[in-house]
Amino acid sequence: MVLAQILLNGILLGGLYGLMALGMALVWGVLNIVNLAHGALIMLGGYVVYYIFVFTGLDPFAAIAVAMVIMFGVGFLLQYGLLNLIVRSALLNTLLITFGLDVVITYLAQFLFTADFRTINPSYAGANFSAFGLTVPGIRFAAFVVAIALAAALWWLLNRRPLGLAIRATSQNLVAARLYGVDPRILYAVTFGIGTALAGAAGGLYGMIANLTPYIGASLTAKSFVIAIIGGLTNPFNVILGGIVVGIAESLATLYFGATYSDVVSFGLLVLVLVVRPTRTLRAA
Amino acid sequence: MKNSIVALAAAAAFASSVGLARADNVITLGASVQLTGSSANTGRYYRDAYGLTIAKINEAGGIKVGGKTYKLALKILDNQSDVNLSVRQYVQLITSDKVNFLLGPFASNFALSDSSIAEKYQIPMVQGGGASTQIYTRHYKYIFGTLPAADDYYASTIEMFGKLQPKPETVALVAADDSFDVSVAKGTRERLKAAHMKIAVDATYREGNSDFSSILTQIKAANVDAILWSGHETEALNFIRQMKSLNVNPKDYYGFTVGVPTEDFRKALGKDANYAFGMTSWLPSATLKDRWFGDALGFAKAYKAKFGYDPDYHAASGAADVETFAVALEKAGSLNPKAVRDAIAKINFSSLYALHTKYGENGQIILPQIVVQIQDGKLVPIYSDQFLNKPQYPVPPWNKRG
Amino acid sequence: MMGRWPLVLAVLVAIVLAGVPWFGNDVAVQFGINALLLATLAQSWNILGGFTGYVSFGNSVFYGLGTYGTAVAMTHFNLPFGVGLVVGAVVAMLCAALVGIPILRLRGPYFAIATLGLNGAMAAIVSNLPIAGSNIGLVLPLMRGDAIFYELALALLVVCTLTVLWISSSRYGMALVAIREDEDAAGSMGVNATLYKVTALVLSALFTAIAGGIHAYWSTFVDPASAFDTTLNVRMVIMCVFGGPGTVFGPVVGSFILSAVYEVLASEISTAAVLFFGLVIVLAVVFTPKGLTDLMAGARRSGWRYLFRNIRENRL
Repeated sequence: MVLAQILLNGILLGGLYGLMALGMALVWGVLNIVNLAHGALIMLGGYVVYYIFVFTGLDPFAAIAVAMVIMFGVGFLLQYGLLNLIVRSALLNTLLITFGLDVVITYLAQFLFTADFRTINPSYAGANFSAFGLTVPGIRFAAFVVAIALAAALWWLLNRRPLGLAIRATSQNLVAARLYGVDPRILYAVTFGIGTALAGAAGGLYGMIANLTPYIGASLTAKSFVIAIIGGLTNPFNVILGGIVVGIAESLATLYFGATYSDVVSFGLLVLVLVVRPTRTLRAA
Repeated sequence: MKNSIVALAAAAAFASSVGLARADNVITLGASVQLTGSSANTGRYYRDAYGLTIAKINEAGGIKVGGKTYKLALKILDNQSDVNLSVRQYVQLITSDKVNFLLGPFASNFALSDSSIAEKYQIPMVQGGGASTQIYTRHYKYIFGTLPAADDYYASTIEMFGKLQPKPETVALVAADDSFDVSVAKGTRERLKAAHMKIAVDATYREGNSDFSSILTQIKAANVDAILWSGHETEALNFIRQMKSLNVNPKDYYGFTVGVPTEDFRKALGKDANYAFGMTSWLPSATLKDRWFGDALGFAKAYKAKFGYDPDYHAASGAADVETFAVALEKAGSLNPKAVRDAIAKINFSSLYALHTKYGENGQIILPQIVVQIQDGKLVPIYSDQFLNKPQYPVPPWNKRG
Repeated sequence: MMGRWPLVLAVLVAIVLAGVPWFGNDVAVQFGINALLLATLAQSWNILGGFTGYVSFGNSVFYGLGTYGTAVAMTHFNLPFGVGLVVGAVVAMLCAALVGIPILRLRGPYFAIATLGLNGAMAAIVSNLPIAGSNIGLVLPLMRGDAIFYELALALLVVCTLTVLWISSSRYGMALVAIREDEDAAGSMGVNATLYKVTALVLSALFTAIAGGIHAYWSTFVDPASAFDTTLNVRMVIMCVFGGPGTVFGPVVGSFILSAVYEVLASEISTAAVLFFGLVIVLAVVFTPKGLTDLMAGARRSGWRYLFRNIRENRL
């Protein structure tokens, strides 16, 4: 029973992990930018949802939709105004600039939101229900469903819509994008915007499960990394699956070795996946 | 290459020019505190308490040392929650800012590193932010602390268990893996054993962890009577929220080392904060007489009026650090670091923080933890060495609460 | 490839720096130890990152192992500091050789990510080792005498820079550069790429670990968070890239300048220092993505327009 409950915890948490990594995988796969500021954007999204929830009383799940629009704008501007300037320079430079962005966003968040803990705490936050003798926390279950839904929406966008086809074409070949009649600069900005909107959604869900502080970004970036690598960069569902694998692995590690070993397991998985199957994770290009 | 020399020279010049313009009737206390970064939330208590206490002492005319009157001044630097930077800043405070004495940073790991600087330069440091026993087992001579030993944090709680009906028999012990919390867990294990209680779950988690679902599932399965928890405030909040969402109900009791006494904790959790037990080494009471603030209540009032939020034991402990210097300086009658150090080792005075503000052989204060509980959104003292108020006990399960 | 005068100047600077403990104040020495150790880290990073182009975020692993090797040897086995340094260095080099073989097969971002993961894993492992004091860390004995630490750090930097000087003018270095320019072509020309890359990583680990050991004894306290600090690794990369990767003196100059800037920021505007640190990184990448040496050459040729030419080259 304990094992079943722990597996369930891992799966539910893994869905959220997957959503965190989804935006990073998209941006990485299409734009070839390894975004070290991804966790900071998740954090920012969490605060946006928090403030919408606190000031308007809007239900947090509805607030997430609003926050996604706002975060899309943030991401669009970041890419269009800044990252487009360096997108063709060496990989190292994109790593450095996003690291710098992470530092700046974290500082500004602390300045604007203070270091106080924030929690998105709707009246039903602690609600749970029982199924097959297991306790299912309501919010986590809802977060899991949202994560799957967003992955499905992203899949649909990338595979069934002209915009998505253009985005995918861009990841293969920059010139190809022009064939779709879209300015690649706009296309890049839109792609980064979508990635940021997904980060925003993940942040909102995170804020309902754990506290928001300006400093959660770094560890979320690391986690997103691990999952993006394990899940691969091309198929949204695989990314979610990657999240679930990490979620389960961490939960089991806690059960059998102790909670201090969960990082050993997830980082170990990352290195292992890279070393054992480097080709699988290479982007389609 | 030329650039580097220029840069080095420039850095040295800058560093020496920032030294305070010192009047000869001012005693400067220096500190490097977490004003930004992950610990800024608690760091502010120290900044504010240091500033307020120094201002209050100066208002009262300063202090008399060897027949001469001095004002106190504070030089505070922001270590950005970075241990390495804080170490460098303490060296800067001593060697270029020429502060006279040192106040401490927040948190055990900082105090651990920073106290080495105090010892190296033989400048007394009184710190109110680190409770880990590790700080005091190195036989350092120049480090004093106003937080009681981490090992003893659950001493009063476990003593209280013996007087409660029903008495908890099985316990889940959950602790973070940093210096302070490992000390707490170690001390608690020994005390539980001595009290013949069974530790059914003994979990250590990684500092900064935000997901407790696996640990909580194990606790639920073990069906324990009490949970004793030790970690950081943000983790405590996550733990309680996840306790509720996973419907984990210890039969009698759940208690935390940190968080419960703070205003933030109650604000963040709303009514889910109710029934949580905690502890504090300090409560604002009129019995704690103080030379400058009248009593602890006066301190709490002045603090709230000036900064807009309630002080907790961190703040009181920081204020006691400043007062320790004031009292010890007057007693020593000299600014000589060695003389002041010896005076600190011998003092015993009533402050807003402790009836007997005095330091043990190793430099650490001895002070019992007062068990507290949140009842109806209010912080209520429950037990010190006897019951102060009636606890709401046993704690009702989540689904039986109004 | 290099005239006589930079060498002469470098020797003079080293001599002047060696005198700092006698005519400088404590803060200068304190700052110096930090700056020299950081410069050593940037220079060691340069051996692999600068010459072969493999971006490692795993150098903090070697730093951490050096730190812990020294600390464990000194606290648990009461060995002298010198032996501790050797222990740390050997452990780090072994680790570099063992993990280098599998992960140096990875190219581009995948190598970088693997090293990042390695650092996370190593920090987590060490924080579970009772002999390393778990996550609490270890307290080393206190030694007064910052001048000794300063001279040690300076000596280490000099040796490390001499090593890089040798690399840059040897066949070995040419092979490393060939790997950077085109690894497959280098391989087909008979360069045993794996051997070269792994030895470069091991060399890099050697100096990084010793720097870690010196820092450990000097600061008297080590814990996993500060020993396996990704930010420190990023700092090495930035300092090296800013100064000029693949050059002999670039990383040293770059790190001295950045250390000085950061120190001034941290003591002058205390709280906003982090913000400026971040902004400097962002602006540097946008305007001078090829480092300081390229900036100086480019500025001589085309003045301030150099900055915008970079944008033109790299934008979409």
